Amino acid sequence: PAQSPLHTALVGNIEPSDMEDGQIALPNLAPYLTFNPQVILYSAQPATKRLVLQAINRSIREIIEPVVERSVAIAAVSTRELVAKDFAMESDENKMRKAAHLMAQNLAGSLAMVTCKEPLRLTLMTNLRNILLSNGLADNLVEQAVHLTVSDNLDLVCAVIEKAAMEKVTLEVDECLLAAYTNRKKHREQRPGQPFYDLDVLSASRFPGSLPEPLRTKPDGLQAGQLRVYEDFARISRVAPPPAGTATGATGSAGGPPLMNPVANYPNAAAGYAGAVVGGMMPDTNAAALDFENASGMQPSAMAAMYHQHQQQQQQQQQQQQQVSVHQILDR
Amino acid sequence: MDEEKVYTMVLDLLNPALRDQALLDLSKIREQYEDLALVLWYSYGVMSVLLQEIVSAYPLLTPPTLSTVASNRVCNALALLQCVANHNETRTLFLHAHMPLYLYPFLNTSCKTRPFEYLRLTSLGVIGALVKNDNPEVITFLLSTEIIPLCLRIMETGSELSKTVAIFIVQKILMDETGLYYICQTYERFYAVATVLNNMVNQLVETQAMRLLKHVIRCYLRLSDNPRAREALRQCLPEPLRDATFQQVLKDDITTKRCHSQLLHNLADGMH
Repeated sequence: PAQSPLHTALVGNIEPSDMEDGQIALPNLAPYLTFNPQVILYSAQPATKRLVLQAINRSIREIIEPVVERSVAIAAVSTRELVAKDFAMESDENKMRKAAHLMAQNLAGSLAMVTCKEPLRLTLMTNLRNILLSNGLADNLVEQAVHLTVSDNLDLVCAVIEKAAMEKVTLEVDECLLAAYTNRKKHREQRPGQPFYDLDVLSASRFPGSLPEPLRTKPDGLQAGQLRVYEDFARISRVAPPPAGTATGATGSAGGPPLMNPVANYPNAAAGYAGAVVGGMMPDTNAAALDFENASGMQPSAMAAMYHQHQQQQQQQQQQQQQVSVHQILDR
Repeated sequence: MDEEKVYTMVLDLLNPALRDQALLDLSKIREQYEDLALVLWYSYGVMSVLLQEIVSAYPLLTPPTLSTVASNRVCNALALLQCVANHNETRTLFLHAHMPLYLYPFLNTSCKTRPFEYLRLTSLGVIGALVKNDNPEVITFLLSTEIIPLCLRIMETGSELSKTVAIFIVQKILMDETGLYYICQTYERFYAVATVLNNMVNQLVETQAMRLLKHVIRCYLRLSDNPRAREALRQCLPEPLRDATFQQVLKDDITTKRCHSQLLHNLADGMH
């Protein structure tokens, strides 16, 4: 993105103490922060913007390590188990690796987002308030600045943590599946053209053999349609949908998970950074998501109206049925 | 239930355009086809699809924007996971893939609207299905995660039905030796559980919810098996459980009445 005066003013302002050894490296957020023009403090005393960056970096530091660690640990295990099961008869380790990456990145990113958002909001509020007050700024000005600045920049800050989780889990899952990749490569070299079986996985179950064809994997590897399931992980949005009814209606009518372009949801300057995050990690992801949206080609409003009308009749009834099943857990 | 029909529905789960309907249909028939858990687990891609359904709902949690339609859809996916959690041949696989942990963000919500209440209740149902078969591996797994604080919070603030499932989970953890030891190991843990049970008893004086009372009494009784907890309960067992407050509600439930007497007996023992 083009460098703003703000960028020039702030670049290089990350404190050296924020970059200790062994910690997750934080990107320079200065060019991407939003300073709301309504905030009197920023126009009256532009120097305070530097304090905002400090408060944001400190808040990220306080939260990022445990959130990333936990999200990565969970996502890597789930990915390892499910990919090993689904790719037990797939001899191409590249297909396996690609699926594992897409799944692990989405799961770790989603878990990191859902875990960090609320704690991060509270931490940001506290740190920003404290740093402004301790610099002798007036209470009433500080309150206004804190609220607007946190809500303007929360998604950006969450995206930093999400990106860290996605990067770390990619390495982690490759480590978990290293033996699986190697076995496939060896098999192809030693027995070219022979079907591949992961006996560790397949011998553990009596069941897959009795499933009908499309539901089980075949010795000649996975079909394009089957691989699509894992590619779909790249299409799930990890940020909140826009508040207005239009976009939610469109996704509802598509009948799938929300398929929005993740970048589109970041406000203002954050979009540039989020684009760098997502685009840098998975160059083809956004294009795929956009293609998919265009391909559905439905009339959102009409479809949504029909869908909702139909659903509403069933909702009440279904929620009652569901509760019966919870009773059954207890009573059995 | 016709096997072919089940296979068709499971296959539809893999197609994003047919998935919504397939989730609904399968959750309706899940009790009628015994091997559904096996089909769901071993069919290519189904578990990954169900995880996609779960994480797709995360952005709707904060700020709370989960609609009834979205709640129903994710709850149908959860109902299928409940089926997998419940089956003897898939339960351990489900645990080893860390699947229960994806439900914790749902349990951690506090919005009181119906879609959220329903989401928490259905998520608790999955954990309830895991614990009801008294598998020590399940208890070890749950203890190593933050399920107890999540259950305790729902026991304080949830709907009556959610409270019941949450206390059922805590009770099942207590019934396990490791679980009882874990909860009584530090005063802070014991105190957290005892405080929530105490508040529940005080609420029960008003609501007289029999089923909830039954679980509360069983939790106290089990806590009294641990010497240190027994000692503490002598001080902090709430008054309504010491006097005749619940005599009327308990009179037709011989088992619970016996548990209650046993509890008082355990606490009285060694007092003199």
